[in-house]
Amino acid sequence: MRAAVRGRARLLALLGLPAALLGLLFVYPLAHMAALSVRTVFPGAFQYTGAHYAKFVSDAYFLRVTQTSFALALTVTVLTAAVGYPVAYYFVRSRSRHKHWIFLGVISPLLVSIVVRTIGWTIVLGNEGLVNNALRMLGIVREPLALMNSFWSVTVGLVHVLLPFMILSIASVLGKIDTALEESAAILGAGPLRTFWRVTLPLSIQGVAAGSILVFCLTIGAYITPWWLGRGKVLLFSTTIYDQILAIVDWPFGSAAAMILVAATLAIILLYFALIGRVARR
Amino acid sequence: MKILGWYVAAVLAFLALPVLVVIPSALSAGSTLGFPPQGLSLKWFRNVVDHPEFLRALAVSVEVAAASTVLALGLGTLAAFAFVRYRFAGRDVLQLAFVAPLVFPAIVYGVAMLMMLTPLKLTRTMLGLTLAHVVITLPYVLRTVGATLHGVDRRLEESAQILGAGPWRTFWHVTLPLIRPGLIAGATFSLIISFDEFTVSLFLTGPGLMTLPLEIYHYTEFTIDPTIAAISTVLIVLSVATIMAIERFLGFERHFQV
Repeated sequence: MRAAVRGRARLLALLGLPAALLGLLFVYPLAHMAALSVRTVFPGAFQYTGAHYAKFVSDAYFLRVTQTSFALALTVTVLTAAVGYPVAYYFVRSRSRHKHWIFLGVISPLLVSIVVRTIGWTIVLGNEGLVNNALRMLGIVREPLALMNSFWSVTVGLVHVLLPFMILSIASVLGKIDTALEESAAILGAGPLRTFWRVTLPLSIQGVAAGSILVFCLTIGAYITPWWLGRGKVLLFSTTIYDQILAIVDWPFGSAAAMILVAATLAIILLYFALIGRVARR
Repeated sequence: MKILGWYVAAVLAFLALPVLVVIPSALSAGSTLGFPPQGLSLKWFRNVVDHPEFLRALAVSVEVAAASTVLALGLGTLAAFAFVRYRFAGRDVLQLAFVAPLVFPAIVYGVAMLMMLTPLKLTRTMLGLTLAHVVITLPYVLRTVGATLHGVDRRLEESAQILGAGPWRTFWHVTLPLIRPGLIAGATFSLIISFDEFTVSLFLTGPGLMTLPLEIYHYTEFTIDPTIAAISTVLIVLSVATIMAIERFLGFERHFQV
């Protein structure tokens, strides 16, 4: 009994400060924001209202922004999965001596500053950039293509920084597959493609799913890369929140938009777990 | 496998591309930011030093990163002990809450912090910015320290106590040296994450208080010239130095288990 009390006191001593910090600086601000989102005005006297949410889901502009965000997230997710899967496969299965370097190369975008990444892509995609100069030298185009500040420049930037998440997610599942299963398939007469299609891919689909959900959520919430590589030409959910809060200074409406973003992210994660649960039960 | 190897090399080239073009562009003698660079010159590096606002912003970034890392290390280690060593009601939920800032949309957190700190007059202060950075970096420390703490053989601590060491002495001479790799890794991640933080800082900075990434962004709003490539080159050198340091002391793969 005494020991239990002492254990509890120790636990409190350990967890008290960190939990207080988290409560005051993470949970409280978000709760405060949620409360703001149902106020008519801020600051000043107010009534509770759901009008901000209604406005968001009925306004054509915000619907278009939401659509673009989801289209972007889907594009980036599909691209990272398609580009990343073979890399993960090679990383797990090859007996290359350079595996260590491959690993470092794969995670390198995460180690490089956001500033470097976006400026790098500006140099590659800009009017005087690598791609345009190469195309001009080859005589394919005369005038530079407007590659920057578009849906596709944002896509390239996001695929670049999110590929590591996808590759690591897939690799961690691929690495756990018992190669005996693939060997059995081969012994039973399946060719390498058939083995991959019927055995390896289905077994690794959980890694693809986990990576996809991560990439999708990170894209939906992404702000800097779209802002920097889109420069106001690519309007997304996240850029809208920024505008409402800092440019238009409509805090209640901005809060409602932020709450919708959080809800959408949560919904996607829950959907994922529901799907995984069903697959696991089968 | 051979064709796949070439494919992987191509993807790695894509991943390295932005870094590879930045360095030559910084050495350009021309005044447009582009590739290939025109001529060779160091004048853009000179231009960086001639802008005192960059140095000021660098100082702010370094201070915030250092302060938030110290706080995150202390609080994260405490929390890691609680989660690894104790079983209690609500443990899973609480643990989830602690790592939530890792995946939480940064823009939403930035907005929420702005709305909370404005009435307290804490926006555009070092204190406000540092506190926000602690929340963002804490999960990294919690994960790295937690991971090493899991691996600590408790019999070593028990032996120390049997031999007469008190709890503090045991912690100082046995546990702490054993979790040192986790602390170093956590501190490194925390420093990098804080130094590179953009979205949340965007809401909490302004005239008078600017971090380096934001200062660079504001510069590019008016001028796009090789100056920013020159700063980027300096940042790349810093990153490479950090990576080599981690690699040297810890080895990388162990700390990136997904």
